[in-house]
Amino acid sequence: MSFIDWIVLAVTLLIIIGYGLYKSRTTKNLDGYFLSNRSMPWYLILLSIMGTQASAITFLSAPGQAYTDGMRFVQYYFGLPLAMVVLCITFVPVFHRLKIYTAYEYLEERFDLKTRTLTSFLFLLQRGLSTGISIYAPSIILSSLLGWNIYWTNIFMGGLLIIYTVTGGAKAVAYTQQLQLIIIFAGMFLAAYMVVHLLPEGVGFIDALKVSGKLGKLNVITTGNTEKGFNWSDRYNIWSGLIGGFFLALSYFGTDQSQVGRYLTAKNVSESKTGLLMNGIVKVPMQFLILLIGALIFTFYQFNQAPIFFNQAQVNKLAASPKKDTLRFMEQQYNLLSAKKKELSATFVQEEKHGSASAATINELRNVNAESEKIRTGLKDVLKKEVGGDTSDTNYIFIRFVVDYLPKGLVGLLIAVIFLASWGSIAAALNSLASSTVVDIHKKFINTSCTEFMDYSISRYYSLGWGIFCIVIAQFANNMGSLIEAVNVLGSLFYGVILGIFLVAFYCKSVKGNAVFASALIVELAIILLFWKCNIGFLWLNLIGALGVVVIALIIHATFNLLKLSKQ
Amino acid sequence: MNNQEDKAPLFRSWRTWYTLVVAILVLLIVLFQLFTKYFS
Repeated sequence: MSFIDWIVLAVTLLIIIGYGLYKSRTTKNLDGYFLSNRSMPWYLILLSIMGTQASAITFLSAPGQAYTDGMRFVQYYFGLPLAMVVLCITFVPVFHRLKIYTAYEYLEERFDLKTRTLTSFLFLLQRGLSTGISIYAPSIILSSLLGWNIYWTNIFMGGLLIIYTVTGGAKAVAYTQQLQLIIIFAGMFLAAYMVVHLLPEGVGFIDALKVSGKLGKLNVITTGNTEKGFNWSDRYNIWSGLIGGFFLALSYFGTDQSQVGRYLTAKNVSESKTGLLMNGIVKVPMQFLILLIGALIFTFYQFNQAPIFFNQAQVNKLAASPKKDTLRFMEQQYNLLSAKKKELSATFVQEEKHGSASAATINELRNVNAESEKIRTGLKDVLKKEVGGDTSDTNYIFIRFVVDYLPKGLVGLLIAVIFLASWGSIAAALNSLASSTVVDIHKKFINTSCTEFMDYSISRYYSLGWGIFCIVIAQFANNMGSLIEAVNVLGSLFYGVILGIFLVAFYCKSVKGNAVFASALIVELAIILLFWKCNIGFLWLNLIGALGVVVIALIIHATFNLLKLSKQ
Repeated sequence: MNNQEDKAPLFRSWRTWYTLVVAILVLLIVLFQLFTKYFS
């Protein structure tokens, strides 16, 4: 990075920290610290919801995901708008009417304390772990770019955002997210513009899409069907997206305190609903555009020499190992294929322009790409045996392009974008982890008679404590492949069960606490076993978990009723 | 919670909002399908 980039990065981050501290003046009680005194308008709710969901992982991994696997990942978000509608009809009015701090408080009122505590515990476990991964995501960029030690980078990364999160609570989180998203969208728009601008002369946006599409990267809609029928292990298709994605989004936005805590800050139920519904409208197109950047970068590398492996730090390690000759041989082969790709892509674009695109050209281009992928796979095997560490470079694709090709200043801005996206989601997560710990655990089991100021002070300590915990988790987040998938897989292990508990609460009025508690324990165990032993697309775990809890709770409830009747 | 606090903005009822959100999703899926077909 150049000096200008460093200046842009430092100034952007300092502005956010300063703005967060400026906005951190809040009422010193739980309502002020966790819910901004329930005063936020819908557009701040929308930005806060989006800022919480769109972490650095979204902006780092998603373009890489499109580069390697095509744009079909967007289908993962298809269930989200439907979930927003169900939330507005069912969850939001209840949460507002009860004037709760956490979603889990409702469960005590509906069931009992143990069900509330179990659900809160599952949330804390899942959110604590995935926030750790969210700290690790931007840290890998810094460590890769600057050669910094990853452990110290995690500490540096997590430490900065704790400054305004601990001080300002939900209000500082919401206001900084607003500014962060403006900078993020500006940065991503500029990155997209630059990809097209950097294409060879005579190759425009539509030409780039045609190349990407013919090479299978614009596969936005897929059905998951194969010659042998529906492929249940296929992660992203329209059905897993609509059904599994619906349950995942319903669980995430309806039962994950990091999101519930955002729309509970709204000044009334109408503002909450409007924010959520607007999120349902803008989320899918936004994700489509982020993935499109990845598909365009793929085209860019058809005309330009792509790195054989996007994580240069790993390549450097291999170059210093006894296998350096193998690396050199592979790089030579890969470079020859890159030259061939450039020639064939140019031919294809010219043929397309003259309306004479031949199947032979595109087939040859596909074959050359397949050969390149074989070499990359071979290199990953060598890396795994010789160097170890992360052998997936999906998370590095976008940022490597930024560093290698974007002009001075813009590189610093894009690095800042990654930081800000990360801070937005981590700050909201820390705030929600603290609120759930204080309201659902501390005030229930440790000290039941705190004054308002004590509540406020304890909340700040818990925010700090969770920040430290997440940094520790970040230190162990190596070798997890695509981080966006890792977070979603982790969420899917718990979200289904948590959602199932809430579905029973809302829709099965006769079922009591003991039945739903036993059901949740059984299904959570089954989900972990299913994930461990069976090759099943992770989105389906949300559906299985949610329906499993509902069905088993109903069975237990019916069995107890029958036993009672038979005794009478 | 009074009715004023739960009033739908722009439209008469929340039902219209819900229909709009679902209709936009359907439209997007149709457009994505056309996009996929056209470019592959």
